[in-house]
Amino acid sequence: MNDIIIRTENLAKTYGTGAAASHALRGVSTVIPRGSFTCIVGPSGHGKSTLMHLLGGLDRPSSGSVQIDGVELTRLDSSSLARLRAGKIGFVFQFFNLLRNLTAAENVETAMMLSGVPERQQAARAREMLAQVGLAEKAGARPSELSGGQQQRVAIARALINDPDILLMDEPTGNLDSTAEAEIMEILHTLHGRGKTIVLVTHNDGIARQAQQVIRVQDGRIFT
Amino acid sequence: MTLGKLVLRNITRRRGRFVFTLLGITIGIASFVTFLSLGGSLKAEIHRESAALGANLVVTPKGSCAYEQVSILTGEQLPTTITAEEVARIRAIEGITAIPYLTERTAVDNRPVTVLGILPDETKSFKGWQVARGAYLDTSTESQAVVGSVLAAQFGLEPGSFLTIRGERLPVRGVLGETGSKDDLTVFLPLSLAQRLYGQGELVSFVAVRVDDINRVESYALKITEAVNLGVVSDKQMLKSVLSIIGTVNVTLQLIAAVAILAAAFGIINTMMTATYERKREIGILQALGARRRTIFAVFLLESAVYGLLGGLSGAFGGLLFSALAAPHISQNTFTAFVKGSGSAGLADPGIIFGAIAFSAVVAVAAGVYPAWRAARLSPVEAISYE
Repeated sequence: MNDIIIRTENLAKTYGTGAAASHALRGVSTVIPRGSFTCIVGPSGHGKSTLMHLLGGLDRPSSGSVQIDGVELTRLDSSSLARLRAGKIGFVFQFFNLLRNLTAAENVETAMMLSGVPERQQAARAREMLAQVGLAEKAGARPSELSGGQQQRVAIARALINDPDILLMDEPTGNLDSTAEAEIMEILHTLHGRGKTIVLVTHNDGIARQAQQVIRVQDGRIFT
Repeated sequence: MTLGKLVLRNITRRRGRFVFTLLGITIGIASFVTFLSLGGSLKAEIHRESAALGANLVVTPKGSCAYEQVSILTGEQLPTTITAEEVARIRAIEGITAIPYLTERTAVDNRPVTVLGILPDETKSFKGWQVARGAYLDTSTESQAVVGSVLAAQFGLEPGSFLTIRGERLPVRGVLGETGSKDDLTVFLPLSLAQRLYGQGELVSFVAVRVDDINRVESYALKITEAVNLGVVSDKQMLKSVLSIIGTVNVTLQLIAAVAILAAAFGIINTMMTATYERKREIGILQALGARRRTIFAVFLLESAVYGLLGGLSGAFGGLLFSALAAPHISQNTFTAFVKGSGSAGLADPGIIFGAIAFSAVVAVAAGVYPAWRAARLSPVEAISYE
């Protein structure tokens, strides 16, 4: 836990210009150690998700810098950013964001396809990963045939399939009941135990208390 | 998972839209193939009819234009103004064989049929006809007819049966062997009988001329124009001018088909634009998973290409099927007589099939470029946040 996997310096994000400008983030500087479990908390609309999007290279900052493993994301073109997302970062979202016309296994296989895994290796690896999140028997099910908790486990399997160093999760239990939430948290603790860096945006104080590091975001500023 | 599988899953998820978009391009390509196929058959038939005429030069009334030349090949009625004296002067020129024809029309079972008045023995020798059944025209008697093989089959005409032309009941003496030309669809009468039945006195419609020395066609044409005040056209000139008319008709029809294809292309654009809006969040998901812009672009472009390929395939075969089914039912006129006569329309021309499929794919890919570009330039966060 000594080295830093994510570092931001004076990170700012402004939407709109002039009088209509909205400052989502204002000069955020923070570090996230490798293998840590970090929660980003704060009221709605204060910049948590914006911060997560910037950390994951899904959006570009208005100013400041974001480094992942020493790589400055603001200097990467869209293609290099995509490559970094495919190999180094796994995303999990509140509303699961599964591809609804594909089965659970195919959702996982799609992530492999995008990182260049040959098709012949995909099916076995997808089933293995789904088994790890307790969904071996649901590999052929479409999202509409799965419960919310099961869908989120598919999303986690998809996020993990390319063995990323970092898992960025935006309210992963926000849409689940307490049983499903407990199942997801158990999976996350297991992953953390295996050395994955987990960054999780949440409103849930109970989840935040389980984190090693909590970053509070309010009015676009952070309070660690 | 492969890009191809992802594309197929995407385009078949909304089956109704998939089918209707596909139908649009199918209809466009089918009409294109139909027109190309029928046009190709027309050209082939014109070449065949020109060869079947067996003439190096054709003498027509003065001032005849391309339309009359088409009529000579199709057996349509022509102005009948060439006199017996003019025919005699042409036939008197040494080194040529000149055969006069009178082209008229009659109806058999209320369907229009070409009647050709001929000099029996000379025409038979000129054209190299064989008699399939019965006997050929007898020079000792006038009131008689022979018929082409397809006509005989169509109307059940056999040696011993009768045809009524202009109120006169004529015995069918024989059925000619198949020639593969419009002669198969024609009733042949002795020239004098045809002239009498149609009240043409001693006039004929045109004179087909074969020269003994093919290298001197031009000089024979000159001799004929010196002998008579009539139009003379070589078989090559006639072929060229008829093909030029057919070419114009074909281009017009193909332009109409191109408009249909253009409409179908806009259908694809509409479908793909709708898809980019509907699947905005999905695009964001793919981007979060590491899809590059070019991958998103490729997914949408491939979806368009699949529409084009499938539409091209179904359109090409649909068009060929339609042209084969439609050809026999096309009412007979100057341009379509060839098609009807031979029944060769709709023959699968690999060039047309592959050309139509390739054209369809190219049009579809072109139609897909803008929606694919729109999809690819979406920002990941904008796409993934889309409700």
